[in-house]
Amino acid sequence: MSDVVDEVQAGPADDGASAGGRRRIAPVIVGAIAVVMVGLFIVLAGADASRKESAASPLIGRPAPEATGTLGDGTSFDLSRRKGSWVVLNFFDPTCIPCIQEHPELVAFSEDQATLGADGAELYSVVTKGKQSEIERFFADNGGDWPAIYSKADEFPVAFGVSQVPETWIVDPSGVVQLRLISKVTAAQLNAILQQFREQYG
Amino acid sequence: MLAAASANSALGRAGLLLMLAASVFGAIAVLYGIRRKDARLLKQGPVYAFLALGGIVLAVVMMQRALVTRDFSMAYIQQVGSADTPLLYNIAAMWSALEGSILLWALMLGVFTAAVAWRFRDRTDDVLVGWALIVMFVISAFFAMLSFGPADPFGAGAAGVTSGPGPNPLLQNHILVLFHPPILYLGYVGFSVPFAFAMAALITGRLGEGWLMETRRWALFAWAFLTIGILLGGWWSYEVLGWSGVWAWDPVENASFLPWLTGTAYIHSVLVQERRGMLRVWNLSLLVATFALTILGTFLTRSGVLNSVHAFGDGPVGTWLLVFFGLIVVVSLGLIAWRGDRLRSPGSIDSPLSREGAFLANNVLFTVWAFIILLGTLFPLLVEALQNRQTLVGAPYFDRLSQPIGLVLLFLMGVAPVLPWRKASTELLRNRLFWPAWCGAGALVVAVLVGADGWAPLVAFGLAGFAAGSAGRQLALATRRQGWRGLVGRANGGMIVHIGVIIIAVALASSNSFTHSATLELNQGEVVEWGGHSFELVSVDERTNDRQSRVAANVILDGGSTYRPAITTYLNMGADIGTPSVRTGLTEDVYLTLNQGAAPGDTTVTLRVFIKPMILWLWLGGAIMAVGTLLAAFPGSRRRVAIDPVSAPIAVDGPPSGSGADADADADQVDVDVDDVGTRNEAPV
Amino acid sequence: MASELNAKVKRWPGWVLLVFVIAGFLAVGATRSTGPASQDDRVDAIARRVACPICDGESVFESQNNASQAIRNQVQQLVADNDLSDAEIVAFIETRYGAQVLLVPKASGFDALVWVLPAVAFACGVAALVVVFRRWKREAGGMREPTDDDRALVEAALLAQLDEPDTGR
Repeated sequence: MSDVVDEVQAGPADDGASAGGRRRIAPVIVGAIAVVMVGLFIVLAGADASRKESAASPLIGRPAPEATGTLGDGTSFDLSRRKGSWVVLNFFDPTCIPCIQEHPELVAFSEDQATLGADGAELYSVVTKGKQSEIERFFADNGGDWPAIYSKADEFPVAFGVSQVPETWIVDPSGVVQLRLISKVTAAQLNAILQQFREQYG
Repeated sequence: MLAAASANSALGRAGLLLMLAASVFGAIAVLYGIRRKDARLLKQGPVYAFLALGGIVLAVVMMQRALVTRDFSMAYIQQVGSADTPLLYNIAAMWSALEGSILLWALMLGVFTAAVAWRFRDRTDDVLVGWALIVMFVISAFFAMLSFGPADPFGAGAAGVTSGPGPNPLLQNHILVLFHPPILYLGYVGFSVPFAFAMAALITGRLGEGWLMETRRWALFAWAFLTIGILLGGWWSYEVLGWSGVWAWDPVENASFLPWLTGTAYIHSVLVQERRGMLRVWNLSLLVATFALTILGTFLTRSGVLNSVHAFGDGPVGTWLLVFFGLIVVVSLGLIAWRGDRLRSPGSIDSPLSREGAFLANNVLFTVWAFIILLGTLFPLLVEALQNRQTLVGAPYFDRLSQPIGLVLLFLMGVAPVLPWRKASTELLRNRLFWPAWCGAGALVVAVLVGADGWAPLVAFGLAGFAAGSAGRQLALATRRQGWRGLVGRANGGMIVHIGVIIIAVALASSNSFTHSATLELNQGEVVEWGGHSFELVSVDERTNDRQSRVAANVILDGGSTYRPAITTYLNMGADIGTPSVRTGLTEDVYLTLNQGAAPGDTTVTLRVFIKPMILWLWLGGAIMAVGTLLAAFPGSRRRVAIDPVSAPIAVDGPPSGSGADADADADQVDVDVDDVGTRNEAPV
Repeated sequence: MASELNAKVKRWPGWVLLVFVIAGFLAVGATRSTGPASQDDRVDAIARRVACPICDGESVFESQNNASQAIRNQVQQLVADNDLSDAEIVAFIETRYGAQVLLVPKASGFDALVWVLPAVAFACGVAALVVVFRRWKREAGGMREPTDDDRALVEAALLAQLDEPDTGR
C-alpha cells in the first residue's frame, strides 16, 4: 500500500526543474551541516576539560601585587621585601571548616620547610576575617608558629582577588606569582610543588 | 550505622541497575517483537518501562534517604550533605552537584518513558509506538549507565567522615532551588518524547503527520516546563544572587535557552506541517536540534569545558555526553538523509504574506537567534582551540544581538495572528491590522507620557502594544463566537501565551532600560532620600545559628516596613554571600543589598539600592504563558474522536493530499482558527 | 452605518493619522533625555562590560567578591574623576588586568567573527526564504489540472486503503 502512496507523493517532485534544483542544493546543505558538526565536535572534544586544583589568575607569571599588611607583633609586612626566598601565602579564616581541616597539613609543611634551612619557603597566613585575639587563640589551639598577616580593609585578599578561603599562593624569590591553589592543600602536595619549582627556577 | 549506610548505597545501585537492565531488555524485547511481529513480546514493552521507572524511583528514594538520614559513608553525601542543613535544602541537595543531577535526569526519563508506555499501552502492536519506546529505552539506558558508572552517586566515601560542607551556600537559601531544577529537567527530558516519535517515524517510514499529532501535546508540555523552569531560574537569580538581575547569559543559562529557542520554532512550524503537510524535513531537524541541544547543554555544563558559576565540575561524564550527542546527530541526520525521498513534501506556500509565511519568518528568526547564542557560548572554546588564548563573550554581546531579534519577533507577533492561511491581500491586512496598530500607537503614547525615553524601549513598547492588540483581537473574535471556548484550543491558547510573552518583553525592556542604582551611606537614625524613596537605618544586627551567621541592616523604606539586606556567612564554607532584600511592587521593585564589611552594632552602613521597574510582570507574564499553554493543549470536546489520529487509518505515510480541499475551505475561516488537528485526517477518508 | 464608518476610517485617514501619531511621539520620546544617567548607573554600565578576573565568566557587576569590588571601586573612582569616557575606562581596566577581562569581544581580528557570523547567518536565512518562495511560486505556476491518470492513482490508493486496514507495516 505504501508503494502506491509513494508514487503519489513522488508526483509533484518529478516536476523537472524543481526536482533538479533540489538535488543540487540538498547535498550542499548536508555537506555544510556535516562540516560544521565535525568542527564543533573537534572543538568540544579538544577543549580542555580539566579543572586542576590550581586556578587561573591574571596575576600568575606577573609580579605579585603591591600590598602591605601588619604582622601580629605590629611590624609592617611588605611582600616586595620578601624577595630572595619562596613565599607561600595561605589565605584563611579561623572559623571556616576547610581551613581548620587544612591546618595540620600546614603545620607539617612548615616543619618540613624548616628542615631545608635557607632554602625553605616562608609560610604566612593571611587573615581574611577575625580579630587578632581570635587568630592567636586559633594558633595556640591548633599549633603552628608562622606569622599571620593582617591587612586593613582586606587590602591583601583584595589585591590577590581571593574571595573564598582557604587559598594558597606561591610567590617565587623574584617576587613573581607562580601558582594559586584553591581549597585545601596537603603538606606533601605543597612540598612536591615547591621542589619542582625550585628545580625549574635553578 | 554502617549497615544502614551500605543499605542506602546498595539498594540505590540496585535500582540503577534495574533501570539499566529493564531499559536494555525492553529495547531488545520490543525490537525483537517488531522483527518477529510477535504481539506478546510487544505487549511486554510497557512492563519494562514500568520496571525501569521502579528502578530509578528506588535509586532516588535511597539517595533521598541517605541525604535525609545524613549517611556520611557515601562520597556524594560527604560532598553535598551536612549535619545541619535543614530538611528542605537537604532534599534539594540531591541536584546540587553533578552525580545527583544526572540521577534527577534519569528519574525524569524513567517517568516519561513510563508515561509513554502507559499512554500507548493499548497500541503496543503499532510499530510507530514500538520504535518510539525503543528510542526512549535507549536514552534511558544511556542515562542509567551514566549514573551507574561514570557519575556514580552511590560511591563510598572516605571512612570516618561525620560531616560535610552541605550544598553550595547559594543553593540553600531560597525555596526555589526545590522547584527550578526539577521543572527545568521536566522540560529538557520532555522533548525526548517527540524526538523518540520523530525517530520512530523516520525508521518506520510513516512520515505523515501521525507522529506529529501524537506528540503535539507532549511537545507543548515539555515546552511549557522549559519556559517555567527558565523563568524560575531567573527568579531565583534575582532573589538570591544579589546583583539585581534575572538573566546573566551565563553558559548554563544559555544551555537552557537554546533548546527553548529551537523548541519554540518547532511548536510554530509544526502547525504548517499539520495544516499543509509541508516542512517535514525542517520540523524533524528542529526536533533533533532541540533534543541534541539539551544533551549538548548538559555536556557543556557537566564537563567543565566552559567556565560558569553554575557549572558542575569535570569528570568522565563529559566524554560520554559528547559521544552521545555525536551519536544523536549522526543517527538523526543519517535517518533523515535515508528517508529523504519520502520526506519530500507536496504542495507549496503561495505567498510570503500568509500564516505559513509568518511561521517561516518566525523560524528563521528563532534559528538565527539560537545560532547566535550557540556561537557566543562556544566562541571562547573556538578561540582557545584555534589561537590558544582566553576570551570571554559576555552579557553585553548577547543583549546587543538579541534586542533587534526580539523587536522583529514582537512585530511578527503583531502581524501573524491576523494573517490567513495561503494568501493575504493588502486590503485584508489594512482592515485587520488597523486596531492592533492603534493599540501599538496607544502603547507608545502612554509610554511617552509616562516619561519613557530612548529609541529601543519606545519601539519595544509600541510593538508590544501592536502584538497585544493582535492577540486581543483574535481572542475577542473567538470568544464572541464561541463563548468561553474561545479561550481554549491551540490558536486561542496560543494567543494567551503571546500575551504572556508580550508582558515579559515589556518588563524586560523597561527593567533593562530604566533601572537606576545608587550607593548610599546610611547613618543610624538619619533619613536619606534617593530616587523618590527614603531610607533610614535602624540598626545592624547579627543572627547566628550553628550553620550560618547573618549580619543584616534593618532599613526602614519610605517610612513603612523594615527591610533586611544581609551578608550571610556559611560557617562550613568560609564564604560570605550577600542576601538582598526586595520590596516588590506593581510598577517597580526596590532592591537593597548590603555591602561587604558590615558588622553588628555598626552605626553606618553602605547600601546598594536598585530601583527596577516592572520586575513583577516578568513572573506574571510567565504565569500567563503557563496558563495559555494549558489552554492550548486543552482539547475541544467536539474533537474528542480525532485526538487519536494515528489509530485512524489515514495517518500512515501521511495523507498525500496535504494541501487538499479542506485547506482551501480553511482559507477564509481565519478569525476563529479552531483546533483543527483532526479534521484533515477525517476529511479525505 | 457604524460598520460603514469603520470601514471608511480604516481606509486611509485612520492610517495616515496613525503614522503621524507614531512618528510624532517616537520623535519626542526618543530625542528627549531625562537628564544624564547618574554616576552609579554609569559605573554599572561599565561594570557589566568587565569580567571578574577570578571567577568563572561573571561580570564585575554581578560578582560579589573582593576582587570585583576592588575593580568596581576603581571604576567608581574613574567615573567620579570624570576625565575618561566609558570606552577609555574599559581600556584602562584592560591594561591593568589583561584582555581576558573584557566581556564584549573586539570587532577586529579573529574576534570580529563573533560579530560577523550572526549577520551572515541572518542573511543566509533570508536568502533561503527568498529561494524557497521563488521555487514554490514556480511550482505553483507549473501545476496543472489533475489528469485522468492522477485521478486513477488516487482511486487506487484509496481502494488499497479500504482493502487493507492499517496495522502499521
